[in-house]
Amino acid sequence: MRIVVMAPFDKEFFGTGRLDLAPRNLFDLVGKLDALAPGFAAIAQPRVHFAVDGVLETDWTRPLAEAAEVIVLPRVGGG
Amino acid sequence: MNAPEQMKQFRHIGTRPIRPDGVDKVTGKALYSPDFKAPGMLWGAILRSPHPHARILSIDTKKAEALPGVKAVATGKDLPTLESLVMHVGEGASDIVDISHNCLALGKALYEGHAVAAVAATSPEIAREALGLIAVEYEELPFVLGLEEALAEGAPVLHDTVFTKGVDPKPDKPSNAAMRVEMGKGDVEGALASAAATVSGRYTLEPVHQGYIEPHACVASWNGDGQAQIWTSSQGHFAVRSLTASVLAIPQADIRVTPLEIGGGFGGKTTIYLEPVAMVLSKKSGRPVRLAMTREEVFRATGPAPGAVIDVRLGADADGALVAADVQFLYHSGAFTANDAGAGVSSAIGHYRIANTRVVGTEVLCNRPAAKAYRAPGAPQVNFAVESAMDELAGKLGIDPLDLRLKNAAAEGDPQTSGLPWGRIGYVECLEAAKAHPHWSAPLGAHQGRGVAGGYWGNYGGPSTVNVSVAEDGTITVATGSPDIGGSRASMAIMAAEVLDVPYEQVRAVVADTASIGVSMVTGGSRTTFATGMATVQAAEEVKRLLCERAARMWGVPADQVEWRSGAVACLAGEAQGQTLSAAAIAGRSFHSGGPIAAVAALSAQGWLPGFGVHICDTEVDPETGHVRIVRYTAVQDVGTAIHPDYVEGQIQGGAAQGIGWALNEAYIYGENGKLDNAGFLDYRMPVASDLPMIEAVMVEVPNPAHPYGVKGVGEVPIVPPLAAVANAIHAATGARLKDLPMAPDRVYAALHPQG
Amino acid sequence: MSKIRVSTTVNGDHAEFLCESTSSLLDVLRDTMGLTGSKEGCGSGDCGACTIMLDGEMVCSCLVLAPEAEGRTVATIEGVAEGSVLHPVQQKFLEHAALQCGFCTPGFIVAAKALLDRNPNPTEAEVRYWLAGNLCRCTGYDKIVRAVMAAAADLRQERTPA
Repeated sequence: MRIVVMAPFDKEFFGTGRLDLAPRNLFDLVGKLDALAPGFAAIAQPRVHFAVDGVLETDWTRPLAEAAEVIVLPRVGGG
Repeated sequence: MNAPEQMKQFRHIGTRPIRPDGVDKVTGKALYSPDFKAPGMLWGAILRSPHPHARILSIDTKKAEALPGVKAVATGKDLPTLESLVMHVGEGASDIVDISHNCLALGKALYEGHAVAAVAATSPEIAREALGLIAVEYEELPFVLGLEEALAEGAPVLHDTVFTKGVDPKPDKPSNAAMRVEMGKGDVEGALASAAATVSGRYTLEPVHQGYIEPHACVASWNGDGQAQIWTSSQGHFAVRSLTASVLAIPQADIRVTPLEIGGGFGGKTTIYLEPVAMVLSKKSGRPVRLAMTREEVFRATGPAPGAVIDVRLGADADGALVAADVQFLYHSGAFTANDAGAGVSSAIGHYRIANTRVVGTEVLCNRPAAKAYRAPGAPQVNFAVESAMDELAGKLGIDPLDLRLKNAAAEGDPQTSGLPWGRIGYVECLEAAKAHPHWSAPLGAHQGRGVAGGYWGNYGGPSTVNVSVAEDGTITVATGSPDIGGSRASMAIMAAEVLDVPYEQVRAVVADTASIGVSMVTGGSRTTFATGMATVQAAEEVKRLLCERAARMWGVPADQVEWRSGAVACLAGEAQGQTLSAAAIAGRSFHSGGPIAAVAALSAQGWLPGFGVHICDTEVDPETGHVRIVRYTAVQDVGTAIHPDYVEGQIQGGAAQGIGWALNEAYIYGENGKLDNAGFLDYRMPVASDLPMIEAVMVEVPNPAHPYGVKGVGEVPIVPPLAAVANAIHAATGARLKDLPMAPDRVYAALHPQG
Repeated sequence: MSKIRVSTTVNGDHAEFLCESTSSLLDVLRDTMGLTGSKEGCGSGDCGACTIMLDGEMVCSCLVLAPEAEGRTVATIEGVAEGSVLHPVQQKFLEHAALQCGFCTPGFIVAAKALLDRNPNPTEAEVRYWLAGNLCRCTGYDKIVRAVMAAAADLRQERTPA
């Protein structure tokens, strides 16, 4: 599955913006990303949004299809 | 401009009933944060650093403690030492260690006004006197206020723990560049080099304050058994609970936060300043403690929106199609890492289709109060630069500025800066509505000019809990965990009344405390009518289902043999066919049909959509003084569906007024000594009634398909376009392109008389 | 230092209080008398949230020393409605949604009533300049000005004999 990591997380954690992983769901993805770059899981909830196939997904339990594309991007904080 | 197909199907949505909390507020009965008193309450006060940057060598509190009437003194050492942990603050993220150190400094004071000690006494006078008896020994350190100065080699570094995030490899030494965010695609330089027309410019903005009229205040009471109560106004009492509990390292359920009426927030009350300090003073004294800020403290110690330096380059082909955009900016983060750079990157150029883009934002630490959210945080600054540059580009190409925007406007399916496709957005609809509006073609007078600008804000959904319960007489209570900052109780009542098809007055909405309703995110990010509204609708639907089920059981017919009709249950079969049972009839006997009727909806709302706006501004510039008068102002916005149009218009008008203030008057002004020179409403000049014309709010309704009633967030968008709309209008009136805010008379005069 | 005893009239009722010589009338109204409808937004006379009437003159109560109330007549937001019947300015603020957070509202209502008491037919510009001492950060003033104009129209109708 294609995982696209946007700034600042590409450079902050992974040194790359493209990863190939096979997570069951977004919780699993957070775990796998944390294994690659320890500390990612701790900031995932407050700082990260995930988009699955172009749509922001806040339910991390939803199963991910093998052909899905996940984008990891910064949350935007409102006022 | 309500879409007719939306109007016909609703009984309550789109009507303008009086808000349930209205009478309390026009009679002076409503209790705001500074109005609350607890029995036996002490009065607190906070000692603040007079220096912009200083090491705290020692704090001697003995004399203060000895003053009769003083019951407790606290310093940063009274707060627990915490492990670094990034938490939600409002919708942004902050390290809890930073939050703690901002409540009470530890080791260093990082800005003038940084809290260093606090007292609680039997009267405000004694508390203030005690502050004067606290001896703080400081070692003054070099300070830095400016963005580029803070990044320069040899600049004083605020935190030796901050290594720029978002760069690879990780820097080997700490700096004031807290974070760098870059997004983009294509070949920007190549596209700019071959563009038919290009514009470029550097734009600057000073930090501005949210300017809520109610200063921060709270009362805290922390008992020996560990349980505590806090009474405060905030944009989110659950955030107050979680942040205060985290700073104090205590269980969240031990704190009950009661939300008082909130006197404005605009993002600035999504965090905490006073609550942990009041808690510590309460624990030490054994009594409830009030802490309240003066206006001066609000200016010196609470979060302004970041100032900025923004470099923009745009390129277009000969017929006006944008081919490239390069936007690079620095934002003030203040004393602690803030959140606005990422938002600035997301909000810079996503409203246009551009093949080659680079957007780079950097958060810069400096010796100013920690930047906090202010209405569409991070968006107005960068939008000012981009929409000013768009105006310049239109001039160069000889294309009408609205037509240039229409030609390039993003629509559903087009990519955002992040690459994600836009959902059902309404930018094109807003531009078309602006073009069709009589304002756009109205004649102008002498020294007058017309400007236009478009902008957007992403909005949010997120967690909300709502409890809808039916009283024995069939009347409905909607309890939410979302503070009502601008009429949301009315909107919740409207939505519940719509679901249940009952009169608006039969539904009363309240904001419940943290012990009385489930977790709900802050009222911020323009999320409440969307997300809490979605929970209200869901809970009301469940109540309707329960009422139907009970009626069926009362009649002894299957559940599918009844139907909800005009606010009552109708029986469709059996002996009772044709009979109806009202909510009162069902709820009044609910104790014998299974118990009270209530439903909780706790959800994390998805499917939010961003809001887009287009503002038209006419200015008249006095060539002899440089004074700018706003002559006419029209704000067009896609609002999804207006639940209560009065309060939607109010959001648009208020946001526009704040943006006009930002454009023309407002700025933090510092002296050479690193101290704020204008910490009061006399010198920090917000717009007053005589500064403004009527602000016409034009609501375009492009409903959000993911919300039962089509809601999109509306509160933040309207502060985004005004900065450039005003600047573009000044340019149209005078030919002068002002790139530095505020466009105060001295600056405008200088631009008009370049020879001095 | 002993406190000063002050005898005054507040919203038509005789009132006595003890205060420091340095106390503001706003502090006494709010903290001693429990009349928290008058708000403190700045404490420097710049925001108008504490607007009251003192002997019929509109003042910022944060700029009045409490002992100055001796023998005078004080009228606050709490006295604007007659029992449960709202003053037309209050009613029009509700009908026109002229408040969002509502914190500045008491000051605006006291100020607007003072305007209409002396000028029953103000122009929009007169309303805007009269209210220029009251800050509102939520509304952009549009709906406030409309509410005051509507209240003026209502009051004129009331005063016109049928």
